[in-house]
Amino acid sequence: MTPPRAIHRAIASCHTCGLASPVSLGKCPRCHSTLHLRKSNSIQRTLAFLIAASALYIPANILPIMVVAEFGDVLASTILEGVAIFWRKGDYPIALVIFIASILIPVLKIIALFWLCAAASGKVHPSPAALGRVYWITELVGRWSMVDVFVVAVLVALVQLGALMTITPGPAALAFAGVVVFTMFAAMSFDPRLLWDRLESLEKTKTSGNPPAP
Amino acid sequence: MKRRLSILPWPRPKGGPRQTVCHFCDSLHDSSPIPEGTAARCLRCGATLYQNRPASLVRATAFSLSALVLMVVVHSFPFLTMHAGSDHTTLNPIASAAALIDQGSTLVGISVAIFTVFAPLILAGGLVYVCAPLLFGHAAPGARLVARWMHRTEPWNMIEVFLLGVLVSMMKLSKTAELEFGPGFWAFAALMICMAAAIAGIDRNELWDRLEVAKS
Repeated sequence: MTPPRAIHRAIASCHTCGLASPVSLGKCPRCHSTLHLRKSNSIQRTLAFLIAASALYIPANILPIMVVAEFGDVLASTILEGVAIFWRKGDYPIALVIFIASILIPVLKIIALFWLCAAASGKVHPSPAALGRVYWITELVGRWSMVDVFVVAVLVALVQLGALMTITPGPAALAFAGVVVFTMFAAMSFDPRLLWDRLESLEKTKTSGNPPAP
Repeated sequence: MKRRLSILPWPRPKGGPRQTVCHFCDSLHDSSPIPEGTAARCLRCGATLYQNRPASLVRATAFSLSALVLMVVVHSFPFLTMHAGSDHTTLNPIASAAALIDQGSTLVGISVAIFTVFAPLILAGGLVYVCAPLLFGHAAPGARLVARWMHRTEPWNMIEVFLLGVLVSMMKLSKTAELEFGPGFWAFAALMICMAAAIAGIDRNELWDRLEVAKS
């Protein structure tokens, strides 16, 4: 037997401490966080963060992420060029790690969240079990994209050898950090329960001839 | 007496049977006590509702306390030293954030500092502050506020990602210069494990149930 859904009993689960209490209380009696049945303006907020992240994704990949000055030669390299350098040297595992973390994961994450928003607002069929897993993975892997920013931070701090070799951060570092932070905010603003709400209303319209189950 | 307090089972707050809502699909369940080491799952979607972690308070306190000690080690011993000719430079998380700020990438520097230094500090410090008094059945003053901030900080703790970044940079530099690991690096690796163990030590629902029944 499937359990009832809390929204029909006007019960909200506190997003901080997890206590279930009537939403009419306004504030959680245990931890005093504001109670909501659903994350407020979930889809709009997620979309806003996603648009910001997609916009920043372009400069993050076009502009140089770091500038290497070696014996007077100045070489600015983008994220993709950094991957290519590793690949040409034969360091395939690291080239793959950087490629997956910096290029693949952000794109897949942005696409996945757009898809989730479309499903939650009824543009595509919601299949909550599968999409819920997509959302869970999205939340899990998002942080790992930050690795390229940390690489820049480490290299900038270590490689300050005067005329010999210096590394300075490029403008793409900020853009890329922005992509990661905004996609994390987007994932946090999305409410997976909306998918189940959508599925439930679909099922209700399908069986509208029958009396609703108690 | 102390020992017995520390292994007190997950208390059930007063006020009759509690309910739990699945945060994935919004299903309402009557929550019943579960044995240590097991998890309650949602009947509709299978997501984990809550877990009864073994020796939760002791583990959370011990691992977060060791994380705090390791943070001191990380920041006071050499982390990574690079030798190039007669020159050498050293690195630690604070220095890498400061270098970015020096080079004009202020925002990136500040975020690196938050992700690798301040978020882990708030998390580990908060866990010690909340969990250690709970071992004796007390809630520290402001423990509820601290616990709320801990939940908010959790996704921004990126210690393990920074460690991967250090490893990738080493591969980048391995042909240019000679690198030497200091005690700080090994402490950082241990810090990563301690943070993960401390966070995984106690379930959010259990922490708040304990805070609710604790004397403040």
